[in-house]
Amino acid sequence: MGYLTAHAGRIVLFSITCASVVAVLLIFVFVIKESIGFFTSYPVGDFLTKKSWYPQADNPEFGALGIIVGSVYVAIGALVIAVPIGLLAAVFLSDIAPFKVQQIFKPIIEILAAIPSVAYGFFAVLVVAPYMQDTFGFPAGTNAMNASIILAVMALPTIISVSEDSLSAVGREIREAAYGLGSTRAETMIKVVIPAAHSGIIAGIILGMMRAIGETMVVLMASGKAYNHIPSPWWDLSQQISTITANIASDMGEVPHGSQHYGALFALGVILFVFTFLLNLVSEYFLSRIKRSTGAAVK
Amino acid sequence: MNKALQSFWETMLGVWGRSALATRQIFNKVFTSSAHLSVALLVVVLLIFLVPMIRRGSTAVVFRGTNEFRELQWDLHTRGDPDDVQAETRQVEALRATFYERIDHFKRGIDINARVDEARQIYRRYGEELDQKDVTGQDKQTLRSRCRTVRNQFVEALEQTDADAALEMLDRVLAYRSDPDFRGTVVEEYFRQALDYKDIVTSIDLSRREKYAGPLEEVQNALVLLFGPRPDEPLPALTQNRYGATRWDMAQRNLHTIVYATEWVSQEEGQPLIKKEVRRDQSESQFKGTTLESWFGDLEANVEAMLKPRWTLYWQYFIDDSTPGHYFGGVGPEIIGTLLLTLLAMAFAVPLGVVSAAYLVECAGDNVVVKIIRTSVNTLAGVPSIVFGLFGLAFYILYLFPKIGLPSQKCILSASLTLAVLVLPVIIRASEEAIKSVPQTYKEASLALGAGRFRTFVTVTLPAALPGILTGIILSVSRAAGETAPIMFTGAAALGPIPESITEPTRALSYGGYDLAVGDRLAMLVPHKQYGMVMTLITLILLLNIIAIYIRSRMAKKLRGY
Repeated sequence: MGYLTAHAGRIVLFSITCASVVAVLLIFVFVIKESIGFFTSYPVGDFLTKKSWYPQADNPEFGALGIIVGSVYVAIGALVIAVPIGLLAAVFLSDIAPFKVQQIFKPIIEILAAIPSVAYGFFAVLVVAPYMQDTFGFPAGTNAMNASIILAVMALPTIISVSEDSLSAVGREIREAAYGLGSTRAETMIKVVIPAAHSGIIAGIILGMMRAIGETMVVLMASGKAYNHIPSPWWDLSQQISTITANIASDMGEVPHGSQHYGALFALGVILFVFTFLLNLVSEYFLSRIKRSTGAAVK
Repeated sequence: MNKALQSFWETMLGVWGRSALATRQIFNKVFTSSAHLSVALLVVVLLIFLVPMIRRGSTAVVFRGTNEFRELQWDLHTRGDPDDVQAETRQVEALRATFYERIDHFKRGIDINARVDEARQIYRRYGEELDQKDVTGQDKQTLRSRCRTVRNQFVEALEQTDADAALEMLDRVLAYRSDPDFRGTVVEEYFRQALDYKDIVTSIDLSRREKYAGPLEEVQNALVLLFGPRPDEPLPALTQNRYGATRWDMAQRNLHTIVYATEWVSQEEGQPLIKKEVRRDQSESQFKGTTLESWFGDLEANVEAMLKPRWTLYWQYFIDDSTPGHYFGGVGPEIIGTLLLTLLAMAFAVPLGVVSAAYLVECAGDNVVVKIIRTSVNTLAGVPSIVFGLFGLAFYILYLFPKIGLPSQKCILSASLTLAVLVLPVIIRASEEAIKSVPQTYKEASLALGAGRFRTFVTVTLPAALPGILTGIILSVSRAAGETAPIMFTGAAALGPIPESITEPTRALSYGGYDLAVGDRLAMLVPHKQYGMVMTLITLILLLNIIAIYIRSRMAKKLRGY
């Protein structure tokens, strides 16, 4: 009898725990379900390779290349800013700062992560954008640079905390060996500790990139909503762009359910979901590697 | 110069060559200090971000309210002392009246058509008056024709663009003043107006009369924004037009548009025109040299007395509803909406999350199924928030709700169910950590006393893990309260009444902040309201996080044993 109830309880617990799996499946199924109509009525090749997004035209076109590139573009722009700073900050927290200082800085980073994205977006539109227009003379204050800077700030906490965890997980004896050979701190970190922790750092960078790609409100408010524009020359961040997330968020409120435009937005959602899913798997692979190689628990 | 450069390079090369140690140390210092710098940069970024948001946002609550604000508070919410408010209104209106009078006086000089019309009216009324007095026949004809002469001369005087000629004509009109026939009749109105006009003629350049019309209208429009509609005018339909500047900072902005005009002036020949601000009382193209010249200075000197700004703590900002466009009022419905959404989301997510975490820690082994569950939790944590929004729309609103007989529209229920899925992984991870960190000895002691696993978990492990779980819950409340993208198409509205059931959409702080920043045109006029909304959201989230950090640090101290 006791065995039976224990067994039954286990099954109940298990089925509740499966809620996450069910949720992931439901998200996947329903986002794809709504986009099937679009994929069957519009050539997928055009969708992925043309940069002509004219959903309201008489002959609507849904070439999403500019939008997809825009997403990757701002994310990479954000990483270029966030990775060096984040890595250095992680080094500071794991190897330089004394315990007390760590206790002060960790909450600060947490607060940076907790600030809602809409507040960052608000800051981008009402503070950064006018500043950029006035100070640098950009034609528009809402542009790729604005979005990248804010996304960098948002990706930083993720990069820092994951990198810091994996730097701390590198054994003390490894550091001591390097110091014992006469290495300076910089050499120890760059030549020994960071290579040893590279899996976790890469995972942190990927998670940071996921945050930047998946972020909606900041790019919606700060990127400028230029659907068919890929910056050229590629390094000119002062140009306006649009991203998958911003495009979905700005158009979804207005399209009639079931229309081709509606399906196209869900198709963009599918791309986004698949993309972050793959990135997530990659980051998990790196995290599991660090677990195996150092034997330490990393979140 | 060359020598200095040479010696510099020699030194540098010397350093390089002589001792690699020095370079290594320099590199080490650079590395260490840039690590310091990057952390300092984070703090600076946080400050750059938080300080202006909180500072500007707090002006929505603490500001110098004018008498218009107190009037509004009484009218809309019956707050304050009605006698005081009325006394104050009478006081300021008495002061304002002189300014209105002076501007009207000037306008009478500008607006000739109205005066000509009035002159015609007077002539007509004189005819009626004669009829009433039973003046008929020849007498009537003569009197009327004489009145007509006066009228024509007055109209001619009005239409003159040369001051001397106009004065001459006016004198001719005024010469009839001594005429006994006109004494005590309507015609005397001509003489009164002629005197009034004579006053004006000397103070304006008549040839440029028409040019004053535009600036005068600008001034009058801005004056409405400053003081509200005149007391003798009917109340406008929209609440936002019924009051002048309710805040001293707004009043000063309005005063600026009254006193300063933007003009396009050419710098040099062939250069594009540039925008320049000029004082209206010092520019020839505005009101310099007119009777209004001193009006602007007087207005500036007396505006404080006419608005009576006073420091106000408008704490009701957090409970008041707002007028459309957030022109007046507060963020009460937004706060309620955000709380409703988050609490409902927590009601769904917390049981699921804690039970999942308990299962993953206590029961699950290391098999494929558990691996799939963990991967799902991680995937869920990585799904972009906008995809949650799409999911909420496609699954709850379009698929599930029609099936179970709920209206297929965006509402609180669908939004909070979406948020529940979003925070589920956060709660699972935090609870897992918390349950894991309960010392094994606790459980062993309980099991040794004969308690079952379930009993052990509920009576020993769970209470010990509770602070950690609570921290996780608080953090996910803060996450859910701040999310905008998932509720955009599942339950948030920019406008609308306070919802009566969970099947209606609601306003929320996060979506409101977005809407005020980019969606609402009217909101651009009230920046303190834009910042106020976001400040409220940030404050809420900071508070939640500080509580969570505090609980955690206390817990860490307990675990460390001091």
